[in-house]
Amino acid sequence: MIIKDLNQFSLNSEENKEAIANLSKNLFPSRKEEIWKYTPFKKFKKINFHNQENFKIKGLDTLNLPNLDGIVIVFENGRYNSKLSRIVETDEIDISFSSDIFPSNNFQTIKKNNYFTSLNSSFLTNSVLVNVNSNTKISKNLNFINIVSSDNCLSNTKFSIVLNDNSNINLRQYFLGNSSISNGFINHENNIYLNSSSSLSIDKFQDLNNNFNFCNEFITQKNDSKFIMNTFSCSGIIVRNDIISDVNGENCHTELNGVFSPTKNEHIDNHTTINHLVPNCKSFENYKGVLKENGVGVFNGKVIVHQDAQKIEAFQKNNNILIDQDSIIYSKPELEIYADDVKCSHGSTTGQFDDEALFYLRSRGLSIKKSLQLMTLGFINEVIQKTSNLEYVDFVLKRLLKE
Amino acid sequence: MSDTLIEIKDLKCRIDNQNILQGLNLKINKGEVHAIMGPNGSGKSTLSSVLAGNDNYEITKGSITFLGEDITEMSPEERSWKGMFLAFQYPVEIPGVSNINFLRTALNERNKYFGIDSIPAKDFLKMVAEKSMLVGLDNKLKNRSVNEGFSGGEKKRNEIFQMAMLNPKLAILDETDSGLDIDALKIVANGVNKLKSSENATVVITHYQRLLDYIVPDFVHVLHEGKIIKTGDKSLALELEKKGYDWLKTDTAI
Repeated sequence: MIIKDLNQFSLNSEENKEAIANLSKNLFPSRKEEIWKYTPFKKFKKINFHNQENFKIKGLDTLNLPNLDGIVIVFENGRYNSKLSRIVETDEIDISFSSDIFPSNNFQTIKKNNYFTSLNSSFLTNSVLVNVNSNTKISKNLNFINIVSSDNCLSNTKFSIVLNDNSNINLRQYFLGNSSISNGFINHENNIYLNSSSSLSIDKFQDLNNNFNFCNEFITQKNDSKFIMNTFSCSGIIVRNDIISDVNGENCHTELNGVFSPTKNEHIDNHTTINHLVPNCKSFENYKGVLKENGVGVFNGKVIVHQDAQKIEAFQKNNNILIDQDSIIYSKPELEIYADDVKCSHGSTTGQFDDEALFYLRSRGLSIKKSLQLMTLGFINEVIQKTSNLEYVDFVLKRLLKE
Repeated sequence: MSDTLIEIKDLKCRIDNQNILQGLNLKINKGEVHAIMGPNGSGKSTLSSVLAGNDNYEITKGSITFLGEDITEMSPEERSWKGMFLAFQYPVEIPGVSNINFLRTALNERNKYFGIDSIPAKDFLKMVAEKSMLVGLDNKLKNRSVNEGFSGGEKKRNEIFQMAMLNPKLAILDETDSGLDIDALKIVANGVNKLKSSENATVVITHYQRLLDYIVPDFVHVLHEGKIIKTGDKSLALELEKKGYDWLKTDTAI
């Protein structure tokens, strides 16, 4: 077990301050580009971001998160909060902290940079690298909590994890914005590397309230590995996930699931790319959107089956429910296939709840609110039941349904 | 205290500018079973929907008084809490929502309305076991999604199972016999009969006399063009079976 605290913040330099201030100017990617078309950058305007050194969260229990009995790593306002974290020494995991960028040769060979990854790398506040040793199966969840607790605070954080051969771990990531603050921004990057026969499952929970969260996520899979990521996006001014997965080993299983539920002018954006680079792999994608009260959602999923990547099975699905007339969903499932012996499908549906079903439930004594909740639950159940822990499911549902 | 459960006075309603009920009068007392028969399009299903509070229909005239209270403007859920139940002709499938979870929510919503604590899980499950026996509902169906993939007969049984769980004061069975084979019909009718008491009442809407062999009505009403044109006892149903509706239609024409 190695714990290094190399907090070398250079954010206070005049130069960097100015660069952060530029965020509120017009330096964003062009909305003429397809992948940025719907992201409402104007919501960033006039916000003067800064970095905040203080920790404000009194204790882990104040966050009311479910079963945090394993390792807990807390980043608050972009910095590692050692008081709230709980890192247990084991032979199975190495955890190290740095404000440096980790050597990228371990990760994706072609890094797909964008404005926000550049921002992240340039002004990285803190970074953690988790190394899971070979032939280990970690039974307790690894918890990573990334919270913004100060107004206008910009956090540029990285989480990197390497699973060595035949290792296995479950990770829970929380991206939280204190409900009493606003205009905080967690600009996060996940770097994920799965070696042969390893298995990683991530439950990612995003509840930002009046704050922003961008996650750029880069995944590389080697042969016989299994990767599952369930993304539950509950709230935030803009929440955007850009997942790029390179499946670069045979017999891999890749699964991306998600539920997003924007309300009240919130914008939740899911962009995914699965690159099937080699033959004999399977991928599954299932995203459910529940939108109401001027909530805006985006799903843009892309599966690319590269040349000679034969015998690929890839299924992609996005279903959306608009609870009222005022919400918007932009859904774009995409398949690009350059191999000739594959089994792939994709589909998208958007609809509203059936009036007859609503009347049926109400006639049994369920209020409109409860009826809609129950129908929503029925709608997202398929994805929710991917996570097995009841306490966690309860926690996620309460926030997704805004109970 | 009055024995009147529900009283419908001069009820007129329409949907999409089409008048359906055109001055309907009906009074139902506790302990009674009423059968409503009538040709296709006479307004039978509309009546059941309007009673349950379906706001697709616009009530243009008249009143519905349930337990002494005008419920014309009341929401479907509130009617349910007060003891109204409609067994649907076409029960709706609700994917992903388990039957059990749905019923538990329904009971708890009612308890909340009356300021009573939620029903403990143990008591609830005991009740489920008891009531599902009544209609021989397969154990597996209780945990499946509401009506999803149920056969026609299973859906109807599930309606009566829900009725048993909610124990209504007024149950309206909208063509509960349609789509049932003879054995299932007997089971469903038997379930309804077991739930009957001197405190509640049942309205049976049907096309066929056969159901009334099993659920014996005190009154049989004939609905035609949105009005009750004839009321009799159970022998009226037998007569209708023989003669059809045409003789009644000409009666009213004169």
